[in-house]
Amino acid sequence: MASAHDAERMGATPHWEPEDIIGKMTLSTLLFSNDYRHIAIKGMLTSVVMLGLGGLMAVLFRTELAYPGIQILDARPYMSLMTLHGMFMVFGFIIPFVVSIMYYMMPKILGTEQLLWARGAQWSYWLLILAAVLLIISRPDFTWTFYPPMSLRVGGSLVWMGYIAVLLVAISEFLAGAVLLKNGMAAAKRIGYSKLPLMGWGAISEGILLIGSTPILGLVGIVMYTDWLEVTALFDPSRGGDVMTFMFMFWFYGHPAVYLPLMPAVAIVYTLLPRFLGRPIWSYWSAVSAFAILTVLAFIVYPHHFQPAENVSGPLQRAVQILTLAIFIPSTLHVFNWIATLWSDKIPDSARRAVPFKFIIASIFFLMYGGVTAYVNAQIATDSDFVHNTYFVPAHFHAMFVGFMANMAMAGIYYLYPYFTGRMYNQGLGNTHFWFWQIGIFTKVTMMYLLGFNYFPRWVVDYLDLPQWSIPQLILTGAAYLIGLGFILFVYNIMRSANRGVTVSGDPWEIKGGHDAGATKPVPAE
Amino acid sequence: MENALGQVGYQSTMIIIVFVVLGLGIAALFAALFLPTRWRLPYSMEFLFVGLLLVMVWYGDLRSTEIFEAYQAPLNEEGVLEVGYEPGDGEFDRVIRVLAFQWGFAFINEEDEISRNAAIVEPGERVLFGLFANDVIHGFNIPAAGITAEFEPGAERNVWIRAPEEPGRYLIQCLNYCGVGHSQMKAWLVVLDPNAEDNEEGGA
Repeated sequence: MASAHDAERMGATPHWEPEDIIGKMTLSTLLFSNDYRHIAIKGMLTSVVMLGLGGLMAVLFRTELAYPGIQILDARPYMSLMTLHGMFMVFGFIIPFVVSIMYYMMPKILGTEQLLWARGAQWSYWLLILAAVLLIISRPDFTWTFYPPMSLRVGGSLVWMGYIAVLLVAISEFLAGAVLLKNGMAAAKRIGYSKLPLMGWGAISEGILLIGSTPILGLVGIVMYTDWLEVTALFDPSRGGDVMTFMFMFWFYGHPAVYLPLMPAVAIVYTLLPRFLGRPIWSYWSAVSAFAILTVLAFIVYPHHFQPAENVSGPLQRAVQILTLAIFIPSTLHVFNWIATLWSDKIPDSARRAVPFKFIIASIFFLMYGGVTAYVNAQIATDSDFVHNTYFVPAHFHAMFVGFMANMAMAGIYYLYPYFTGRMYNQGLGNTHFWFWQIGIFTKVTMMYLLGFNYFPRWVVDYLDLPQWSIPQLILTGAAYLIGLGFILFVYNIMRSANRGVTVSGDPWEIKGGHDAGATKPVPAE
Repeated sequence: MENALGQVGYQSTMIIIVFVVLGLGIAALFAALFLPTRWRLPYSMEFLFVGLLLVMVWYGDLRSTEIFEAYQAPLNEEGVLEVGYEPGDGEFDRVIRVLAFQWGFAFINEEDEISRNAAIVEPGERVLFGLFANDVIHGFNIPAAGITAEFEPGAERNVWIRAPEEPGRYLIQCLNYCGVGHSQMKAWLVVLDPNAEDNEEGGA
């Protein structure tokens, strides 16, 4: 089954020497260097800061939600926190984090040796920072989906900065997409599509998604601004506009948007699994097909985000339902592939010990836990019953965003850690972080599912004191604290180990123990 | 929850399917991690599995479409949505128009009486709600009746429910973020007790 070039195209080989790159970075390399590792490290560390900010906001509003009634936050600050939490986590943390990990991995794994169009990545980074600053200044309270006309009528006189931030995010993501597509295509051209490592396929899919979807987000940002200025009235029904125009435009970006962090995370699983197991992925072409199907479906299923109305009815509505259900298939191909790879041979002891490997396993678990409920979300009958805009939806996407993608981001940074610091993280702290997160995320997602099934509405600061609502909310808040604690341990670990961790040389992830002599050996470390 | 068509088990069936699939996945993951037996899956397994998923997709689509069409059918009845439709003649026992605004609901009954906090119905009635809003997007959800609907300003949306058999007060809430007062946007579905002498109107 495994052909000659499998080890290469699976990206199973170690590519870097452990080196204290971060210690040698100066302020100017940190800010402006176009070296791929510098850009990637900057992106990852900034994302950790964004995760900290977004998480702090979550902990604040979760404290408010622990008990019915209003205790510490009023409705407007609560909604600002919730809006910024969503925007920071999606635009600031999760997408840039996994994309930065790809920036780090691509040059060696795809063999381009440098990040092509690195200046695009640099601009992408700085535009995103600018967007984040604008968001903090304007503190919008219109949720991350900013449905007009509500979003045109809330917020203070600075709310226009929020619309500009949306435009900047779109440009930033577009540039990142161009960089990824360029690198993927260049590698494909050099080594051929049939030998392209799966990370290359991930980069191409991600690039297509970003480039295809972000222009319309930019347009939405511009039109929101001109609508707010009352120059145009495209989205405001009271002045002759139409909300449905917004819905179609926004979700044309909005659905691919949820796959933006998914594709790199999937590509990272495909890269790291062979690395830890010392054998190729079970099926290369199954993975490639799954990438391709998912990319196509991402662009056409977006009307499932708004409920059936006159605009989406009849055959179109049914087609959307069928296609949405069909997303099950490529996602399952990925998971099936990973499980088959794990099952096909012994799992080396070195992998079982490695913290990033544990995070990968947890990610696979959460991809299933979050993914299966899409079966319920996709059906119009259940959607009109209890899914639409109850906590069932946040449960689904938190399982995916936090359970799968954030866990994979953590797997990526733990994996790369010895390569850019020259030292190993503290194993005990890493394990504790792992368990705090998995218990926290599992509890949180389960409680959200339960609340959704009990019709708990989204976006509320206050709720009725019903036992089926208040008990899960209290547990949910506890889970949020646990995740926060895990995050603090993680930050402490990476800061402390950068100076005091065990120095490593050679291959920090060398495969030891339980590995069969007959299986495909990875190319040893140079 | 029992929905308008009187089906109780549909959602549960779907949730059970979901958990069976999840259970299979987790079992496979744990087997791959902890079972001493190693298993090189043949590629045919995957095609078999995809076939299974296709059946799931087919079943989900079939059930959902069936239910949704059965739900829509009474709304397509001649004259239902016109002014002057006489409830009781046809599919519905009562028609209530609902104006959603920032932040509350106004229920307008057939006699043009307006209530700001309660829709008053008899037990087990089939009630048609004509939803409309003029300001922003709102949601309309009655947990006890198993309905959630989203509707945008300028367009009327019609949904119907079967009122609970048990007299009492049932929550009606907005599910779509519509501004800072969103969490206070609640009202009651009051199911009158047919045996009680004087019914008090539910106050929120």
